[in-house]
Amino acid sequence: MACLERASPALKEILLKLYRANKSIEIDHHLYEFGSVEYHIQSSASDEHHMYLSISTPLLSQEVLLPYGISHHTKQMITAICSDVVEIIEPAKEGYQLTLRLDFSKLPSGKDTLKVIAEISAVQAIILSSRLKEMLMNVDSHDTFQGMYKPIKLVYRPSEPFFIVRQPQKFIAVFPIHFKDKPDVIIATTFFQELMDVGSSEKWAKAPPCCWSPIPPPELRGELFEDLSTTGGFVSFEISSWHVKGKKLDKTVWSLLNFYAYVKFHVKSTRSFIQRRMRKRLEGLVELLHKRNIKEVEVEEEEEEQSRKIQANAGCKCMIRISNLPKPTVLKRRYNAFSRTIKRIRSRIKIQGFGRFRRRWLKMPKFSSSMGYTKLE
Amino acid sequence: MVGANTLRLYLTCIRNTLDAAMCAASAVCHLQNFPCQEVERHNKPEVELKTSPELLLNPVLICRNEAEKCLIETSINSLRISLKVKQADELENILTKKFLRFLSMRAEAFQVLRRKPVQGYDISFLITNYHCEEMQKHKLIDFIVQFMEDIDKEISELKMSEHTRQAGGYRVS
Repeated sequence: MACLERASPALKEILLKLYRANKSIEIDHHLYEFGSVEYHIQSSASDEHHMYLSISTPLLSQEVLLPYGISHHTKQMITAICSDVVEIIEPAKEGYQLTLRLDFSKLPSGKDTLKVIAEISAVQAIILSSRLKEMLMNVDSHDTFQGMYKPIKLVYRPSEPFFIVRQPQKFIAVFPIHFKDKPDVIIATTFFQELMDVGSSEKWAKAPPCCWSPIPPPELRGELFEDLSTTGGFVSFEISSWHVKGKKLDKTVWSLLNFYAYVKFHVKSTRSFIQRRMRKRLEGLVELLHKRNIKEVEVEEEEEEQSRKIQANAGCKCMIRISNLPKPTVLKRRYNAFSRTIKRIRSRIKIQGFGRFRRRWLKMPKFSSSMGYTKLE
Repeated sequence: MVGANTLRLYLTCIRNTLDAAMCAASAVCHLQNFPCQEVERHNKPEVELKTSPELLLNPVLICRNEAEKCLIETSINSLRISLKVKQADELENILTKKFLRFLSMRAEAFQVLRRKPVQGYDISFLITNYHCEEMQKHKLIDFIVQFMEDIDKEISELKMSEHTRQAGGYRVS
């Protein structure tokens, strides 16, 4: 899932290629990625050591306030990747929010090289998550914060706002879920219910507690109706202080920012999984139906062949049988066959009406018993 | 165990009814070629038209419970079997609908499957005298019973694998 990885795979590959090249390469690449992210990489043959990286990304905006650019804190975080290598150029190139000058000659050697290049490739994630990080870092603050308990609406993509509600010792992140198709809604809601059940188990006690409800939670009371009308309900995560300590802060923030993308990915992959299974089962059922009928046909053909073989061998078997019988019986059978042949020869000359005459007058009388009956003609 | 027993009884009842309807054992009374009485040179499955009551037999409805039932309608030259599959929750509902619709859209692969189920049911079969001539009757019945078992099995497996994937998704998120 490229959209859920912090580092851009394409950008990382280009930077590695530039680093490993022995001589300077002329490069002017534009990269476009999921989430309206654009990169512009420039490298000139005349300037061996430096290359320029410009980034344009939608920023996390708060309510109706439009983002006014990258904050000073974010710039500090970017420079902190490796201050020798990364330098921010002011003003940024036209059409981009940030332009960096990278000096690969000052890259540390060994494994750290790859680490720094990976972090440079993840600059977009740093820019995006900085705003949310600033908010979550103060989770333990005891100051009476203006607008405490008032939900803050954050917009990353226009149709996917989410809310952060500050409470004592914790934050609550609320995601309104909206899908157009009913099957998608059912798959997503089943996922959220499973998420709740699994999350409440002891094994996942340290994970942020998750809650799903079909109606807006009480924290969002007073928000706009269009923000509260959804098809998939509301998912809430409780973020406590231990979820944002040290390195966990990055992971927590990145997970929250990509929650919508993950849910959509899950729904899409579920649908394709169902489709694959159905196709496989269909093939199995069709094979079953045709196999049954093909098997019957094969059995019938085998039986026909066997009967043909029996008929062909009948003469031989007949000879074998006769040789086993006693002599008088054999003679009697031969006499009967002979007399039948004679009768056939004799009756070849057909006289009309003779058959009836023969049957009536030339047959032996039968002595019928008192128990039997006489056939009436 | 109780569920498995009732399923066995249900399937046995359906098998016996189909056996009787198709008269597999008797050569005298079975689905036979019967041209249409109303239109010359036409040969239509009478169970679909239902214009001549004298050609139709009494339909049989076999219910396992309120949610699962099987309707068997017989006529002189055709037989229609309609099935209603159990759907315990919304997920099973969409899985069943998707799966059976998928099969119905590919009805030509099965020959005896109807493209559109009868109203009130999830899937329907139409068996005509031509099918009985091409295929063995008792094998057709075996196939239909096996089909019913496979549908139940497939829906349960899909639901189970769904839950497993969702639990795995929690670890990622």
